[in-house]
Amino acid sequence: MEFSKFLNPSFKLNIILIISFSISVNSFILFPNVNNAFYVLFHLTLIYLIFYHYHYYLYVVALIYGILFDILLLNNIGVHLITFLSLLILFIFLRKYLIRLSSYQIIFIYFITLTILLLIEQFLANLIHNYKFNMSAFLNFFLISLIIFIPTVFLFTKLDK
Amino acid sequence: MAPKFQIKVFQISSFIKNLTIISIVTLSFLLVFFSKSDLYLINGIKNISNSVIIPITKVISAPVNAFSNFVDEYKQFRSLKFENKILQEEIIRLKKWQTLAIQNSRENKVLKKLLNATDNNLTLIKTASLINRNDTIYSKLINLNAGYDDKIMKNMSAINERGLVGKVIDTTSNNSRVILLTDPNLSISVKSVSDGIFSLLTGHGDGKHLVSSFVKENKMPRLGDIVVTSGTAQIFPVDLLVGKVAKVEKNRFFVLPFVDFKNIDYLQIVTSK
Repeated sequence: MEFSKFLNPSFKLNIILIISFSISVNSFILFPNVNNAFYVLFHLTLIYLIFYHYHYYLYVVALIYGILFDILLLNNIGVHLITFLSLLILFIFLRKYLIRLSSYQIIFIYFITLTILLLIEQFLANLIHNYKFNMSAFLNFFLISLIIFIPTVFLFTKLDK
Repeated sequence: MAPKFQIKVFQISSFIKNLTIISIVTLSFLLVFFSKSDLYLINGIKNISNSVIIPITKVISAPVNAFSNFVDEYKQFRSLKFENKILQEEIIRLKKWQTLAIQNSRENKVLKKLLNATDNNLTLIKTASLINRNDTIYSKLINLNAGYDDKIMKNMSAINERGLVGKVIDTTSNNSRVILLTDPNLSISVKSVSDGIFSLLTGHGDGKHLVSSFVKENKMPRLGDIVVTSGTAQIFPVDLLVGKVAKVEKNRFFVLPFVDFKNIDYLQIVTSK
């Protein structure tokens, strides 16, 4: 009984967050798209956590993952940290409007948020650290997002019962 | 008394929560601000992420890694018969070349003695093995298991038996990070062996080729020409093998590196003598 209480949806989503982070920062030569898919899954999970399981601890989560993603993928702190924290702050201001929306509208906004987040990350990497904007990589991310979005939402809703 | 107390507790906890959010946001901006300068804190964070987080992520991603290795081994097993045939043919060809190479080596030694020339211009700092790769859309980086305790410093060159692999961009006590030649954010000054045409190469978006970003006097090298480091920028030692000219266009040319970036196990960190 105690253990099942411990395994609440928020905890399960955090486990998915850890796994997707670990896989996305370790490159696999034969399957480069596995990294990209788990990178997108990480973003999907984080947005889902913010939208449906908002809690103050998510600021610490965003801080830690933001720093780690920045150091491991870019060797410079900034891009992911700014985007994750901005998403959290933006959510507080938009929460009262999001509550009024229907589930279909929320899902649409969920996908749009994901796409904008991935785009802003590339844009900030270019702006802050001079990394070249890679349009083909972004399109690859977009395609992966399109493929894994519906199954992921289905999985998350199942986890949330 | 009880409701008052409850309200007070709620106020304090909400105050603490708001304070935590403000301090996290402030801390983030400070980290972003100081990340460019080499502060002790930033290096500490990098050190922790390299020595603690990377091993943890490797353990978590071990099943995917095991599956990837299994597929790789299965592919290798399938092509074993065909590879064996090719290798047998290559052995015969190499034996002929070996005889010729021994003759040339003897001749070379004699000529070097005559010219009073030194053998090479490189100092080997450390041979290190690869820990993991961060081959992502942002950058093409690899982590090595040797750091400044092994006298590895920033901007040192990383090579393997095939040629130049990249440049050290960050070191911690036991780890160092190497940016690969294929990264679009790295530029190297090179020259063609036959014509001595100087140019700058950067990684192409495809992750396989290098593309010229500047060619001195707009003279294009010939197709198939070998490209080596020029040593003019004084970052890479001179005459390190880079690649072969694979495609020439009107204002730029493409180089296919000699190094197989998908199969890097060990690297030598070197510097100029």
